[in-house]
Amino acid sequence: MGCDIVTISPDTEFVHLAWQASERELADVKYSMGADPTGFLHRMFGVYLEDSGLGARGTFIINPDGVLMNTEVNHHNIGRNIDELMRKFKANIYLSKKTSEACPSKWKDEGDVTLQPGAEMVGKVYEALNQ
Amino acid sequence: MSESPIGLNLGAPVPDFEITTYEPTEKGFGTFSLADQKEKGRWTVLFFYRADFTFV
Repeated sequence: MGCDIVTISPDTEFVHLAWQASERELADVKYSMGADPTGFLHRMFGVYLEDSGLGARGTFIINPDGVLMNTEVNHHNIGRNIDELMRKFKANIYLSKKTSEACPSKWKDEGDVTLQPGAEMVGKVYEALNQ
Repeated sequence: MSESPIGLNLGAPVPDFEITTYEPTEKGFGTFSLADQKEKGRWTVLFFYRADFTFV
């Protein structure tokens, strides 16, 4: 799909190594584990918790031109769901090719009903979604 | 483009950055660079979490 996932915490690459080697949940990890011990990247994205030196749970999607397309930051201890992320990721890729369309809330994957925002749709979203 | 609660604007370019990585598939260290991603035409998902040895 032409995408790379990088996980990032304020730990060093040495701690990433030790964690991945010891935690069986991480045995099959294939993605890059980024090290940000100075917090510069956390601060750039506004997810550095200054009082604890930890990272907030933030997910960011950047397109191949380097443009920020999607942000999600959870304040509470809410584990992120891969299905939620994949839906947003697929929608971003789809809309980068079909720039005049919109992916409604129930859109999950290519082939599902999309909307064509415009004057004709005003007051007619129900009809557009249920044709 | 709109001001977001985070430090960057949605729909705006992210400044180039580079960080050191641990690469589990190679059991070695590497580098991730946004400039490289743009050159290769690849999407990027950045996934920030509290710290190692916590639940993510």
